[in-house]
Amino acid sequence: MSNVSDVDVAVGRSKRHTARWAAISLGVVLLLFVAVLATRKSAADKQAESPLLGKQAPTLSGTSLDGSQVSLASMHGKWVVVNFMASWCVPCRDEHPELIKFTQRHQAAGDAAVLGVIFDDTAPNVRHFFSELGGSWPVVDDPNGQTALDFGVRGPPESFLVDPNGFVIWKGIGQVNADGLDKLVAQGKARGA
Amino acid sequence: MKSRWAWLAMAAVLVVALVIGAQGRSGPMTQAERVKHIASEIRCPTCRNQSAAESDAAAAKAVRDEIQRRVQSGQSDGEIVAFMVSRYGDDILLKPQGSGVASLVWVLPVVAVVVALAGLGIAFRRWRARPGVKVSEEDRALVERELEREGV
Repeated sequence: MSNVSDVDVAVGRSKRHTARWAAISLGVVLLLFVAVLATRKSAADKQAESPLLGKQAPTLSGTSLDGSQVSLASMHGKWVVVNFMASWCVPCRDEHPELIKFTQRHQAAGDAAVLGVIFDDTAPNVRHFFSELGGSWPVVDDPNGQTALDFGVRGPPESFLVDPNGFVIWKGIGQVNADGLDKLVAQGKARGA
Repeated sequence: MKSRWAWLAMAAVLVVALVIGAQGRSGPMTQAERVKHIASEIRCPTCRNQSAAESDAAAAKAVRDEIQRRVQSGQSDGEIVAFMVSRYGDDILLKPQGSGVASLVWVLPVVAVVVALAGLGIAFRRWRARPGVKVSEEDRALVERELEREGV
């Protein structure tokens, strides 16, 4: 009988030992996981990572909806919001009034403008979108997706703020708003761009 | 003894298969094969878990066209992949790079396998020779009775 008791004691001790190590290992893994998540950028921070930040904006030119030739280079000297959009994209529809507000605020001063780029959509669809919702900034067609690739765009809406010298200073994924864009422009001006 | 030979045979088959698999095909790739190979390492920008080689999305086609243009202009695979990373960032690559937090993807499975093997080794050693276990005469008699009853 005493032998059985010895076995029970040994097995019990071994199990407790294993459980302790398993718990410690799990705790360490969880701590690492929390540490990694805690050091990531908050989802509320709309500034998106992009290798283009701080670099010269890629060449952007093409035919606008009205048939005229448009280029980012021709807008040198202005703050330009390069906005990738599509008529089928609901957040694009939602942000559109904000872009109208932004262009109206800067119309008199002429210091900032919006340059739209069609993402995976057709010019007639986007023309209809603008006739329905308003807005009068140039929108470049990008039928082969080359401009989207040059800017590293994954899906609309994505926006880039290009400073008057042609450098990308901000990228946003998702809807933008006029106040947020104004704040970015003001910050850029304060830095002396 | 028999099982030891079986394990050795399985190990030999595994090694031969790995060597054949690692060698791959011989001879230089054609341009089309290079485009497909590079595109298979690039994530389709609009469909997260498919490669640009597999996807029918417009963005994936744009990536394939860009790779083709660059292959035709004489760029190396590394230069083309570097261009894609310079536009989209590291996560455009289907295989994460071995630096920064992304290196955990490569390190953690190795650590998990080592820990699991060590755990198994410790468990086997304990099962083989548990010092606290003493077999009494009663236990032996019990086992013999059961074996007789089973006709072993």
